[in-house]
Amino acid sequence: MRTARLRRTRRTGAIAVVSALTLTALAACGTSSSDNGSGNSGSGSSDPAAPLNPKTKVTITIDCMPPAAKAAELKEWKEDVAEFHKTYPNVTIEGRSTPGQCLEPPRFTAMLKAHSQPDVFYTYFTDLPQVLDNDGAEDITAYVTDKTVPLLKDIDPNVLASLKHDGKLYGLPTSNYTMGLLINRKLFQQAGLDPDNPPRTWDEVRAAAKKIAGLGDGIAGFGEYSAANTGGWHFTAHMYSRGGDIVDATGKKAAFDNATGREVARTLHAMRWEDDSMGKTQLLKWGDLQKQIATDKLGMFLAAPDDIAYMVQQLGAKYENFGMGPIPGEKATLAGGNNYMIKKGISGDKIKAAIAWLNFKNLTVGKGQFDWARTKADNLPVGVPQPNFWLGESKKKDDGARLANATMPVANFKTFMDNPVPGKAEPPKAQEIYKVLDNVMSGILTDKDADIDKLLSTAADQVDQVLANQ
Amino acid sequence: MSTRTLVSPAQLARPRGKAVYRTVFGLVVTGFTLVFLGPLYWMISSGFKDSQEVVRTPPTWVPQSFAPDNYSRAWEVMDLSTLLFNTLYYAFGALAFQLVLDVAAAYALSKLRPVLGKAILGMMLATLMIPATVLVVPQYLTVLDVPVVQRNLLDTPWAIWLPSVTNAFTVFLLKRFFDSIPQEILDAAAMDGASPVRILWSIVLPVSRPILGVVSIFAVVGIWKDFLWPMLTLPDPSKQTLNVGIYSLSNGVPVNVLIAALTIASLPTLLLFLVFQRNIMSGLTAGGLKG
Amino acid sequence: MSAPSLTKTPAGTSRRTAPPRPAGRPSRSERFSRGLRRNLTAHGFLIGAVLCFAVFSWYPMIREFFLAFQKTEAGGTHWVGLDNLRTVVNDPAFWQAWRNTLLFTLLALLIGFAVPFLVAIVINEFRHGQGYLRLLVYLPVMLPPVASVLLFKYLYDPGYGLLNEILRFLHLPEQQWLQDPDLAMPSVVIAATWMNMGGATLIYLAALQGIPGELYEAAELDGAGLLRKIWHVTIPQTRLILSLMLLMQIIATMQVFIEPFLLTGGAGPEGSTTTVVYLIYQYAFNFNNYGAAAALGLLLLVLLAGFSAAYARLSRARDE
Repeated sequence: MRTARLRRTRRTGAIAVVSALTLTALAACGTSSSDNGSGNSGSGSSDPAAPLNPKTKVTITIDCMPPAAKAAELKEWKEDVAEFHKTYPNVTIEGRSTPGQCLEPPRFTAMLKAHSQPDVFYTYFTDLPQVLDNDGAEDITAYVTDKTVPLLKDIDPNVLASLKHDGKLYGLPTSNYTMGLLINRKLFQQAGLDPDNPPRTWDEVRAAAKKIAGLGDGIAGFGEYSAANTGGWHFTAHMYSRGGDIVDATGKKAAFDNATGREVARTLHAMRWEDDSMGKTQLLKWGDLQKQIATDKLGMFLAAPDDIAYMVQQLGAKYENFGMGPIPGEKATLAGGNNYMIKKGISGDKIKAAIAWLNFKNLTVGKGQFDWARTKADNLPVGVPQPNFWLGESKKKDDGARLANATMPVANFKTFMDNPVPGKAEPPKAQEIYKVLDNVMSGILTDKDADIDKLLSTAADQVDQVLANQ
Repeated sequence: MSTRTLVSPAQLARPRGKAVYRTVFGLVVTGFTLVFLGPLYWMISSGFKDSQEVVRTPPTWVPQSFAPDNYSRAWEVMDLSTLLFNTLYYAFGALAFQLVLDVAAAYALSKLRPVLGKAILGMMLATLMIPATVLVVPQYLTVLDVPVVQRNLLDTPWAIWLPSVTNAFTVFLLKRFFDSIPQEILDAAAMDGASPVRILWSIVLPVSRPILGVVSIFAVVGIWKDFLWPMLTLPDPSKQTLNVGIYSLSNGVPVNVLIAALTIASLPTLLLFLVFQRNIMSGLTAGGLKG
Repeated sequence: MSAPSLTKTPAGTSRRTAPPRPAGRPSRSERFSRGLRRNLTAHGFLIGAVLCFAVFSWYPMIREFFLAFQKTEAGGTHWVGLDNLRTVVNDPAFWQAWRNTLLFTLLALLIGFAVPFLVAIVINEFRHGQGYLRLLVYLPVMLPPVASVLLFKYLYDPGYGLLNEILRFLHLPEQQWLQDPDLAMPSVVIAATWMNMGGATLIYLAALQGIPGELYEAAELDGAGLLRKIWHVTIPQTRLILSLMLLMQIIATMQVFIEPFLLTGGAGPEGSTTTVVYLIYQYAFNFNNYGAAAALGLLLLVLLAGFSAAYARLSRARDE
């Protein structure tokens, strides 16, 4: 159950952080701890709600540290660790890094099975059921309070909700995303379209795609995935955008074998075969469309904003070349994200140290990953609209800092920012359902004579079985 | 050519035979060159194209752009030297383990014929029937926590080396070959007071050189080609094999850099092969049949 | 897949070693203690390999059976009887995966098994250039397989791929290759054959060179043409190797993983390259369902064991 393979970017690293500033927030939190545990010196308090005693000596291991290849991000990580040490001199942060994506599904599954995850481990929102099945994560509800995570109240409750099970909290978010329509501004201009007004309905998308494909030279107007479960993932996004669903409210039945589903399938089929605006190469998976749009071979596709940072850093694309609009249809959009969880069974002090670190690195406005001034100074991107899980006061402050330090034309994302679409989580048993829906996508996109009704009804039967097998 | 083959020499000697022979020969040589070297040419030349040209439709036969920095970028991002060193380390370690343990086992089964030898051989051969991929899951769980000694072999070379010994096919090949060595010779040596180790070392191994060559090539090639197992058991990127390293990389770089990376990854063994091809080929064929 | 080879008696063995010396008859007790010693030594030689087999082969085999009938959830592992098997069989992809696997095996036999044999026959006829041709055929074996597969993915691309460019050059209709549900599997097999045929070709070549020339001469005296010579001399003479290679090929292709995994993302257009092994992989590492993976593995195991048993029986019957 995960979007892992779908989200290949290393998110924590991708949006990064900071110059060496003082630790106001953290220091404050350290003070309150000593106020709180006045009668309790030496090693940690047994009260989970009490923050970590700064004197506690403890070592925590954590994965998804930036790899050496990402020098700037690694530098920032090290700076953050050094700064963290000023408050907690005895806490050792032992980072582990991976050059590719932090989380590869086979490795992740194996790791959980073996209970070989580090003390603090990186997961996607959708991984929670799997982690719980393997008894892998500690219930940290009691540890996470407004003392240990001062900005807790400003974190979007929808984001936190995806880390809860039966009311218990199992992780702290590092980033979140909602899907929108990513466009190549250069191709829009060449095709005589207005890049500042990305298409807002699927009919407009179809018309625009046709124009862009008309440029010739192997350029596709609109691209879609159809392999490695990413096809099913995006089919889900299409359904949501039109107000449809994948699984009905009971959680037992497929909900896409209907007019909405047929509309999605017919539109894509028509774009692929009647308009020939979706390119010849199909069976694409996450990473392939990014390569196409980065080389100006693709006009639009559905993506999360952080794909842009990925394309610029890894594929050598330029920020100016991209723009974003909300997901066409705008009924609802697929939302997700990633987070850190804490290994079950480690000591209370370790848990507290882990939460203190995560709070500092990922959940403090102006610090860690939200230190936009440092990010800019290190030549990393600032101005991509997500991750953004803040509300209220924190949001205002963070948005202001982003704008002030923006390294890219933020106006290109204006349509996306100004038209928020309600986020909707992935269906249960997501990966298994996506596998089934991959067939629908690949059928539409590779078979000119595809029988759409049959593809959908077969898939619906299969999804019903997947749901019945839980 | 001395050996007589399918087509009779008399037929070939005729003018028409000669013409047919030349035509077929020419066609085959050209065809094979295109089929086997063509993709390699495509790989090397595409690695020089810039990011636009490499995905141009229709493609260009000869690069029009020249972007050699694809190669330097590929070299940097994938840390090829580490990957290659790792792969060789695993391959030759596995080879050493197989040569020592499997040869000893095959020798014991073939020549010393201990009690239960047949049963042991049978159980070993039975593993041939079990597809390796079927066993991946339980084997993985075993490597995580080896029974009795309670060790986790993840990210250690042992996770590659020790399972490589369980190659029943190697044991089978060796045993068959040892079977063909006349028992009387060994008996005679034993009468002279030679220990089994000595017999193995100075009589059996010298005559078994061809089969040892074959087994060695299989052992090295086996590690070289493996993908799923090292991907699961060597999660630490600094310990990965070339195959797994390229796979991890494939999604995160532009097409032209990826192709340059493929070229770089292929070069070392291609060169090794071209230099040592005589030994490798004769090892493979001679070991197979000629004795 | 690494290819097997059959060994014949090493000629010249006896020439190279000293003739046996006459020895006196050992006494009964002497024989007993010698037998004991020989057994101990033998087991000493065996112990290393046996331990490896025990830990990394036999034990996992047994564990596989247990896993197939268990389920692990939060709170521990418990027996679920045939539930896993039921899950697997009810999976809509189940039958498709089996169909694809059998189709793949069939194609692999048509292409992957026949081509190296024919290539070997042709190369064996040449009076020169054999070394060069053998080198060419074996070259791909030396490439890292992931590199070969990714290269083929690039060659197969319907837009900027080389293969369609060749078709255009020859004025033939362009193909969708991996993206055509009917063509995807053959495309995978072609790539796999290119990558792996070298080993088999060399083994066949060696086998062909062992065929006594007189047999062909005798066949010619009977008026046999080229094809009949192949049918009546070449194939029977290499039967042992051919049949062993056939079995190896069946077992290997039924386990194919990396080629479809990297070429078509595993499932392929409309699921047309979903194989049983890919399904096992999906269960185990994407759906976190080791029980179902083990149950499906067990089914594959039964089928392959069946093949092997049938092979053993057939070859025995023919030998007798």
